[in-house]
Amino acid sequence: MSDLTRSDTTRPSLAARLPGLSALGPLLALVLLVALGAYLNDNFLSAGNVTNVLARSAFIGMIAVGMTFVITSGGLDLSVGSMAAFIAGVMILAMNALLPMMGVGLPLILAGMAIALGAGLLAGLGNGLLVTKARIEPFIVTLGTMGIFRSLVTWLADGGTISLDFGVRQFYRPVYYSGLFGIAWPIIVFAIVAIAGQVVMRHTRFGRYCEAIGSNDKVALYSAVNVERIRLMTYVLLGLLVGLATIMYVPRLGSASGSTGMLWELEAIAAVIIGGTALKGGYGRVWGTVIGVLILSLIDNILILADLVSPYLNGTIQGVIIVLAVVLQRSKSSA
Amino acid sequence: MLELVDVRKSFGPIEILHGIDFALHAGEVHALIGENGAGKSTIMKILGGFLAPTSGAVRLDGAPAPYTTGAQAEAAGVVVIHQEFNLAPDLTVTENIWLGRELGGLFLDHRAMRAGAQALLDQLDSPIRPEARIRDLPVSDRQMVEIAKALSRNARVLIMDEPSAVLTHREVEVLFRQIERLRAQGVALLYTSHRLEEITRLADRLTVLRDGAVVRRAGRGELTEDGMATAMVGRDLQDIYPPKRHHAGSVALEVRGFCVPPLVRDVSFTLRRGEVLGISGLVGSGRTELAEGLVGLRPATGEILRHGVPVVLGSVREAAAHGMAYLTEDRKEHGLLLDKNLTENLTLSTLARFGSPFIKAAREEEALTKAIGDFDIRAPRRDMKVGNLSGGNQQKLLLAKTMLGDPEVVIIDEPTRGIDVGTKSQIYAFIDALAAEGRSVVVISSDMPEILGLSDRVLVMRHGRLAGELEGARVTETDVVRLVMGTQETETETETGTPATGTPATGTPATGTPDTAATRASGSASHV
Amino acid sequence: MERRTFLTTTAIGAATAAAGFSLPAMAQGKKAVIGVSIPSATHGYMGGLNWHAQETIKRLKATYPNLEFVLATAGAVGKQVNDIEDMVATRNIDALVVLPFESEPLTSPVKAVKDAGKWVTVVDRGLSQPGIEDLYVAGDNTAFGRVSGEYFKANLKPGAKIVVLRGIPTTLDNERVDAFQAAIDGSGIEILDMQHGNWNRDKAFSVMQDYLSKHKQIDAVWAADDDMAIGVMEAIAQAGRQKEMWIVGGAGMKEIVKRVMDKDPQIPVDVSYTPGQISTALEVTALRFVSDTPVYGRFIIGSTLITPENAAQFYFPDSPF
Repeated sequence: MSDLTRSDTTRPSLAARLPGLSALGPLLALVLLVALGAYLNDNFLSAGNVTNVLARSAFIGMIAVGMTFVITSGGLDLSVGSMAAFIAGVMILAMNALLPMMGVGLPLILAGMAIALGAGLLAGLGNGLLVTKARIEPFIVTLGTMGIFRSLVTWLADGGTISLDFGVRQFYRPVYYSGLFGIAWPIIVFAIVAIAGQVVMRHTRFGRYCEAIGSNDKVALYSAVNVERIRLMTYVLLGLLVGLATIMYVPRLGSASGSTGMLWELEAIAAVIIGGTALKGGYGRVWGTVIGVLILSLIDNILILADLVSPYLNGTIQGVIIVLAVVLQRSKSSA
Repeated sequence: MLELVDVRKSFGPIEILHGIDFALHAGEVHALIGENGAGKSTIMKILGGFLAPTSGAVRLDGAPAPYTTGAQAEAAGVVVIHQEFNLAPDLTVTENIWLGRELGGLFLDHRAMRAGAQALLDQLDSPIRPEARIRDLPVSDRQMVEIAKALSRNARVLIMDEPSAVLTHREVEVLFRQIERLRAQGVALLYTSHRLEEITRLADRLTVLRDGAVVRRAGRGELTEDGMATAMVGRDLQDIYPPKRHHAGSVALEVRGFCVPPLVRDVSFTLRRGEVLGISGLVGSGRTELAEGLVGLRPATGEILRHGVPVVLGSVREAAAHGMAYLTEDRKEHGLLLDKNLTENLTLSTLARFGSPFIKAAREEEALTKAIGDFDIRAPRRDMKVGNLSGGNQQKLLLAKTMLGDPEVVIIDEPTRGIDVGTKSQIYAFIDALAAEGRSVVVISSDMPEILGLSDRVLVMRHGRLAGELEGARVTETDVVRLVMGTQETETETETGTPATGTPATGTPATGTPDTAATRASGSASHV
Repeated sequence: MERRTFLTTTAIGAATAAAGFSLPAMAQGKKAVIGVSIPSATHGYMGGLNWHAQETIKRLKATYPNLEFVLATAGAVGKQVNDIEDMVATRNIDALVVLPFESEPLTSPVKAVKDAGKWVTVVDRGLSQPGIEDLYVAGDNTAFGRVSGEYFKANLKPGAKIVVLRGIPTTLDNERVDAFQAAIDGSGIEILDMQHGNWNRDKAFSVMQDYLSKHKQIDAVWAADDDMAIGVMEAIAQAGRQKEMWIVGGAGMKEIVKRVMDKDPQIPVDVSYTPGQISTALEVTALRFVSDTPVYGRFIIGSTLITPENAAQFYFPDSPF
């Protein structure tokens, strides 16, 4: 190496700065899925269906963006699905309780939103403190809190369903169902979160530190990075995004139960990995995560629209596509 | 016994070995020397079956070598001991030695394997317990385990890639005795090292590589160390140490009663501007712990005064805010992100200076261009992973990264470990320049000539305490060694590596145990 | 508890009342311990079942001081097997009331309890080997599907198009769907699509969204579960197609029953499949220990069409379900 002359150290060419073929793997998979969907069903590309798919992706999407930061810095959070259910439950109960005082109106909705974000922040802070201060493996911490949040919401609901007051619900409904310039609010919010996430990951210290910590936390520590605080912040950020996702989720069905958000954590983690973020940390790609989320919800949508296989086999198709998307990426990157 | 005939090797369009002829003979130690990047590693990989030559032949006992993988090579009796050990850290010594060739049928014969491991370790005069976990062993012991493992495979050819780089002086002695024993048993040995005095002592035959070609062959005693260095570098190396012309200024740092539990106790010293202060001592004497304690990487007690004002340094950030920086001895594990590129590594510890809230990429690139120029970092591509840089260039990058923070006090731990002689002299020049600029530099090193060549003043640590301080004309090797070993002990070795007369150097427990115990007690692998 | 009265036979009802003063056959002073193992409240229906179980246990304890209950809820098959083994080993139960998570894996553990001489009551899901249980109390899945299918047949013209949401793929779901299909056979009703909504609101919501994108004409929806019906309603409302189709759910969730009562044109009827069956099972089992009433056999609790006329009978505002 040392016999290479200095003249070789030129600025990287444009080609080197573009994402490599391997990085484009998930994008390719997404394009193929869209083409397949359009071929199989005429309504696939209709505004209604596109809106449905994007709006549905929004909850897991926002959570997955947060998850990208956690995983990039070498962590993991299994509790997000239960956390969403718990926050939804708390938010609905709080809004129902505040109703007699505040009446139906914007202040009540804003109070509900503040409570959801606050609950998300606290939940994330709890996970983060257990990981950083108590120094427990994130897998174990969040496996524990996953069970805790899930059983808390079941308890709050007395085993049943917590429903938002009908009048409040009617007022709150547009937050999921209507939008701006024909684009539904969840899609707009998801887009903002995704773009902000990408910028934070690529262009701020926080994103760079997440990658450094995930790559080698000792090096980060020796390089004057506040490792514990950055780690803590990734969990808090994720908690806030779960809160935000819940704000968009509650107006959809106006209820929360023990089965709300079931397996969201796995979908979010799968989306992150499909998108090209390393599960062991050290490298995060937010736009990849967004594509991963879209791939996951498109598979579902296409399977129902197209009657390709017995519904019993839907899980098989999903599994195969997920594994293929990752294999595509790995084999190309090693070539 | 094992030879290369006109071996060429190309990676892509670039040929990096240009027709190498090279032979290992039974019962001989053959030293292969050259600067980093001269092609030593490639040759060892080809010999060990890890790489296939592009053209030319590998011959074992006169016939084409019957292996194409490392595992097959081992089966054929050709064993490589890599610099990065090939041991499973969570398994025991016994389990590692027998890994892949476990004894017993359906169930493992633990007793036989343990006995076998014990026999091998006894043969090496090693006190390592067969049931110890690799993770808990110091680096030198791990090396012993590697050697035991090689022996257990009935190695006829043993290829050792810089085995002494991670060893302390005493451990090197043990290693040498083993090498001599293996030689006497008729094993063919290939030995590489950047420490030329080791080559002089060990090598029966010597091959010097430069830029992928053999530039010199010599038998025992035919080439002096200066001659070797000249052959390697291709030019005359004057003194690799810059002349000492420092003028110590005001006191920049004063440390009083400093303790880093559990090892370092009651250390006090002062450091002046424009001064290079050497810290010597055995591995495990608390040198690294002291440095890490000073910059807030370890909990510590005691007083630190900067320019006479007491400061509290609870973290690397606080230390940096007070103009203090520590450059780790372990650049791969603590210093650099090996799977990130040059830019991200360079700016990691000073990222706040490159824009907030958004990092300005152009400013980072500028900084890298400057660092490449200032520190002569040689990288084929700026966006390559740092892990693919040679050790010397990694060290230069780490130095550039540290200096980006513009620290007034720089503590450099093992500045030239595993680095070739050409790069060494560059790094010495950088260190000298830092002092000339009025900064204070602390150099921690196990390399005695380095300490003596660089330092204006030398502190010696032993068992976590300051054993003494030497200054100016009084700094001689003998003095330092006396302090390092402790004047009361009837120590049998000196730092020049020649066994002293008197007690046979058999590594008696009396001298061996305390250091080892101290190393373990401090509970970190970072300083072994 | 009114909910129960139409389900249990009057004979048992009378026996329950009689048991209050006729002392049990068992030895005086010894308490009978009844172990209860049911799946945990992971969705609305099981939530209701858990609620009914707890309410009934509370009430039975108050009535019969010499009865003791051990309630364990399990989130997975393995956990349920462990629970049952623990009950026998550490709580020395005299009877087991079990709603098996799944039939196959629970058969041999329950048989072991029976072989140990304990009383066994099986609820809702049968074991895979007949004759183990002393008492079997269950809803009627075939009737559930049939009653729904008959309503569709009677209220849709030939050529009408419907979509179906199935539950989690299980025997229970298959029985319902098979019976439903048999009931509409020959009516000329076309089933456009049948996908799994997993008895989950969110999943039903998105499946229904996709149905609505895919099919221009849908005349009715068999949501087969009231939780799924809620998700379906939201998806239809989003598409603005409320006027085009009606929905039949199932199980008797209070919100849905309320809508039936209020004559909501979107939800004309519901089909009962009561979580209260656990109460029946507990009460009948309790009788075994507090009276001489013979209580062996099978109690099949029918599925009834809930209409605006009889809805009040099925409406339990206090239940979480």
